[in-house]
Amino acid sequence: QHYPPLRALQASAVLRRAPDEHKKEPLTSSSQQHFDSPPAGHQPEQKPQGPRASYTGQGGQESEDYESEEQLQHRILTAALEFVPEHGWTAEAIAEGAKTLGLSVAAAGMFHSDGSELILHFVSECNSKLSELLEKEQKLVQLGEAEKKPIDEFLRDAVEARLRMLIPYIEKWPQALSVLLLPRNIPSSLNLLTSMIDDIWHYAGDQSTDFNWYTRRAVLTGIYNTTELVMMQDSSPGFEDTWRFLENRVADAMTMSNTASQVQSTGEAVVQGLMGAAVTVSN
Amino acid sequence: CRCRALLSRPAGALRARRGLAAGPEMHFGFQTVTEEERREKIYQVFENVAKKYDVMNDSMTLGIHRVWKDILVHKMNPCPGTLLLDVAGGTGDIAFRFINYVRSVRKRQLQRKLKHHQNLSWQEIFESYQKDEFNSLGDSQVVVCDINREMLKVGKEKAQHLGYSEGLSWVLGNAEELPFDDDKFDVYTIAFGIRNVTRIDLALQEAYRVLKPGGRFLCLEFSHVSNPLLSRLYDLYSFQVIPVLGEVIAGDWRSYQYLVESIRQFPPQEELKAMIEDAGFFKVDYENLNFGIVAIHSGFKL
Repeated sequence: QHYPPLRALQASAVLRRAPDEHKKEPLTSSSQQHFDSPPAGHQPEQKPQGPRASYTGQGGQESEDYESEEQLQHRILTAALEFVPEHGWTAEAIAEGAKTLGLSVAAAGMFHSDGSELILHFVSECNSKLSELLEKEQKLVQLGEAEKKPIDEFLRDAVEARLRMLIPYIEKWPQALSVLLLPRNIPSSLNLLTSMIDDIWHYAGDQSTDFNWYTRRAVLTGIYNTTELVMMQDSSPGFEDTWRFLENRVADAMTMSNTASQVQSTGEAVVQGLMGAAVTVSN
Repeated sequence: CRCRALLSRPAGALRARRGLAAGPEMHFGFQTVTEEERREKIYQVFENVAKKYDVMNDSMTLGIHRVWKDILVHKMNPCPGTLLLDVAGGTGDIAFRFINYVRSVRKRQLQRKLKHHQNLSWQEIFESYQKDEFNSLGDSQVVVCDINREMLKVGKEKAQHLGYSEGLSWVLGNAEELPFDDDKFDVYTIAFGIRNVTRIDLALQEAYRVLKPGGRFLCLEFSHVSNPLLSRLYDLYSFQVIPVLGEVIAGDWRSYQYLVESIRQFPPQEELKAMIEDAGFFKVDYENLNFGIVAIHSGFKL
């Protein structure tokens, strides 16, 4: 993605620019301003004169006042999420989203026609929301306002919170999963998945530096994926079956790790016993 | 062969004649003419070829031009409700393809809607069929604009012959000065037409003007082949075979000589991309078809 440096100077029809007050502020502060991703749907109060100083990466000073193409695409995709339950993860949903922002439906041509970008955008948004949630919980624990949860409960709650974000789109999610598995999308989707799992373990307090790092993440990835699949065909009220399934899998994982450490200590004990026997015999 | 003498011009002079108004001197194929003369000559070229335009397209490109135009409309991926302006659309190839595409998308949409409404009464189903039958295009429209009356005439006859009636309008207009208001169209296409525009920068500015915010500019045009072997074969075919076909099929080798020369004079992909960006379009990109014989440039008014 390239940022055309001085082209932002031209009167862009759609990319928003900051009002004049912001230009007078020192550049360091204006470069920190970052708009929160707006809720999907209409925002009638944010007309072109709205305060939208955006940071646009490389480029001259003027371009800091303009929204970049990436940010505009981000806005369109966020607006498009509202139409997913009706149209699915398709270019049509993106076109409807663009319409609510006042753009032509042809703007959906900026994205791939199978809706991959929309799905990846949604997944990364969910991951960010999860990180924020976990961060907040950690702060509460640090401030002493909440108890530190045992590992299995922590993992269970984190995976449940993340999966609950899928509930509004659950009908079309199988379609999304299949698109995420297209060879073209696998690098990005795998990236998002691994970083999410990594996040969860980080907030769970994992500080391992040995092979455990890999096994823990592999196990949690397995738990997450299987639970997601169970959720797809779960018709129980409030997805109880899914949460019970999740509980069992996490319990299994804990047992497995206990067993592994038991096996290890047993192995060590056996080896020691043999050594002792050998010494005795040699004497 | 006449073209060999013309090809011996120095490369620097050729480059100076690349489409932008560098004074009143312009290129017409490999000749040098004034702007006015160029417009007149091009008008005459298309007046002469109008009746045989489609036949010549098929024979020159061995029918591949149909695939190119299909790819253009697929890339556009229009949804029902799109307003398309097809400039230099003459005989209506892009317009008809657009209508077909939108119709099939609309049909799929209606089928999906009906599948969702499983519990409708017969009365409701009947009403929905009635309503939607009169909306088979979903409010999509295409305006075909061309500077040449003859080409438009041929296009209208073709439309009547093939049975295209709704959602189609024919307007006489100059790409450098479109007779439309600002911010009107969702998509602007120009297929094999921008080469014949005298002031390309003006045409691009007009395209920017008439597009809605978020609208898309698509340009399908002959471009430059970078592969040297292919380029030699392509030159051979262009200069030896095409004018001959022109004489045999349409009885007019001069026009087809002009066509082939104008392809060589047209800016290459990167240069056209820069020109489109200068007009104010964002996310400008191009896709080579057939190794660069043809390229589709796309830009958005953001």
